[in-house]
Amino acid sequence: MAPPSAHSAPASAPSQAIPEAGALCRAWYEQHGKAVYSYLRFHLPGADAAEDVTSETFLKAFQSAHRYDPTLGEARTWIFRIAQNSLRDYLRRSRVRRHVSLGGMRDLACQAPSPEERLLMEEAVGRLLNAVAELPERDREVVSLRYGSGLETAAVAEVLGIREAAVRTRLWRALGRLRHLLTDQGEP
Amino acid sequence: MSTPPEELQELERRLVGVQFEPRASLGAEILGRFQRGDTGADGRPPFWRRVRGLAAAVALVGLGLSVVGLVALRTPALASVDHCCQDFDGGGDADDGLLVVTRKGSEVKRLAIYEDRDGSRSFTPADVVRFARTGGPMLHAHLLPGAITTEFCCLDYDGGGPDDDALLVVGLPPDRIAMAAIFERRVPPGAPSPLR
Repeated sequence: MAPPSAHSAPASAPSQAIPEAGALCRAWYEQHGKAVYSYLRFHLPGADAAEDVTSETFLKAFQSAHRYDPTLGEARTWIFRIAQNSLRDYLRRSRVRRHVSLGGMRDLACQAPSPEERLLMEEAVGRLLNAVAELPERDREVVSLRYGSGLETAAVAEVLGIREAAVRTRLWRALGRLRHLLTDQGEP
Repeated sequence: MSTPPEELQELERRLVGVQFEPRASLGAEILGRFQRGDTGADGRPPFWRRVRGLAAAVALVGLGLSVVGLVALRTPALASVDHCCQDFDGGGDADDGLLVVTRKGSEVKRLAIYEDRDGSRSFTPADVVRFARTGGPMLHAHLLPGAITTEFCCLDYDGGGPDDDALLVVGLPPDRIAMAAIFERRVPPGAPSPLR
């Protein structure tokens, strides 16, 4: 059940299967759209880039829906693998700088009671994500899957194709490195 | 072992607290593209390439203005200005609000346009932010046909006291904002106005 890459997605004729495909696609987006977007947001510096790659991910998933075999795994795992491929393609094409610009996080879910506090929170999150961006690729991936998308470690293990215990080990090591980075930058 | 070692738990708590919400209309937009037979972004230049030139020009202008602004920089406390409701996005309903976090009369730290979803006529967490920016002005997305540019003048958008500020909004009806900027309308007509 290999997910399609940007270069292998078949040119299907989606409009012929719209009624039933439309319902399935809507359900997939409703169930996994936010998690995929948030995962990508941990990798990309702004909402616009995350929207672009989220769109690409789901368009590929919708076009390849006929190739999805539920007996081989959950749709979530399949969609996240497409998201990983789409992200790789996007980064290769656009050479996006990884650093997050402070502010401009219009998509940050935040219950701050005042605009000033929201601004301060955005700056804190910006510093945190800048540190995440400094991590090696493997660490950044496991952190983004676990905390960006909110997947449990078992689901992260499915997406990465490794054992759950290995995910935890990798995660704790990544957090350790992240803590060092933040300490070096003067964060408490 | 489902929780990290004790020294990492605070960091994990901070990471768990970071959550992003995609724009509310994104799902419908993707489904619409799929139903139109759109095959994805392969044939389209990436976002950064599309706006790179424009962003560089805007950044240069912003940098120049920032340098001028720094000369007279004083740092009063942050304050927020909330104006609701007008039709900023061109959607037809006067249900949009403007939220500005400002150093009084000197600098706009943050500018956001929101849709007053809960009818409170002020910004609350229930409202949807349609556009937000900090620092220098920027173009949020490539301009599309059908964009409507509107200038709202004059109110005290920067918290400085006098009603001498104008707001320029480029809206993409029905519910998107491409650009917004605040500038002070105290210069003679025809002369460039200082962006806030």
